[in-house]
Amino acid sequence: MKKIVTAVVAALMATTAHAHEWTPTYPKFEPSFMDGIVVTTMELFNKRSDIEYYEITVHDEGWNPVPFATTAKLMYVPYLGKESVEIYIREADCDRIEYICTTSKQLELNAPGSGVDSRICSKV
Amino acid sequence: MLRLIAALAVVAGSTTANAESVPITGNVSSKCSIYTSVAGVYGNPTPDALSTDPVDGGVDPVVRFDVTAADYYIAKISWPNSFASAPSLDDALAWDGEVTVSQTSDTGMAGYEAAKIEYDNVTEYDLTVAGSTWFQIESSVDYGYGKSFPGGQYSANVTAECIAS
Repeated sequence: MKKIVTAVVAALMATTAHAHEWTPTYPKFEPSFMDGIVVTTMELFNKRSDIEYYEITVHDEGWNPVPFATTAKLMYVPYLGKESVEIYIREADCDRIEYICTTSKQLELNAPGSGVDSRICSKV
Repeated sequence: MLRLIAALAVVAGSTTANAESVPITGNVSSKCSIYTSVAGVYGNPTPDALSTDPVDGGVDPVVRFDVTAADYYIAKISWPNSFASAPSLDDALAWDGEVTVSQTSDTGMAGYEAAKIEYDNVTEYDLTVAGSTWFQIESSVDYGYGKSFPGGQYSANVTAECIAS
């Protein structure tokens, strides 16, 4: 009986884990339909039940922000949702771009939440 | 003579058999997932202190990093140095924290703790082995010089980063 209770508790504990995935790890930019603009497609999978918004940022090697365009820099991704996003940058910036990141954003009304901000950065 | 002809026929026959190769292809891409295994809770052992240490009545948050390919990612974990939400505070806060590896899925990860790099409130681990690693984060904060924290709800966030290297 004790073993069953332990197993149930362990199973319940396991289901409380929340995850955030951002792929691919090494994206490649391709020419877009506009001259001088390149594009890559990234995918975000939200397994964090406490988070529904993720901010996209693009950085150079020194973690300085690099201008980019996308449909929404603050993405709404529901729990267990998977969203693809196209990121457009100037061809001239292609050489200096190093990281494309997503950071979880917690709504103030949901605070304190899990107390963990997750951030995943892919390397160009 | 007849046996020799028969043997040659067998050899010739075998070389005329058609081989069909059936390819099986697959793609393993590197991926990093950050899991919040345990949400942290601050205990209030003395009026001027908040701490996640279980001895102080708190709960240390635990985050898990899953990497599907070795040597592709660096984990950067920062203990909090400001409140995400808190009542109005008019005195200085002294933050402290510590990040440690609490569990691993592979014996090859045993060296992670010794190889970690610490600076400011950040701890970096090179995820050189594929699998899961659990990191436990301790956080504490003292208010003013023996000053009591005002009543209210306090929250601070740990930042867990997985950066492709």
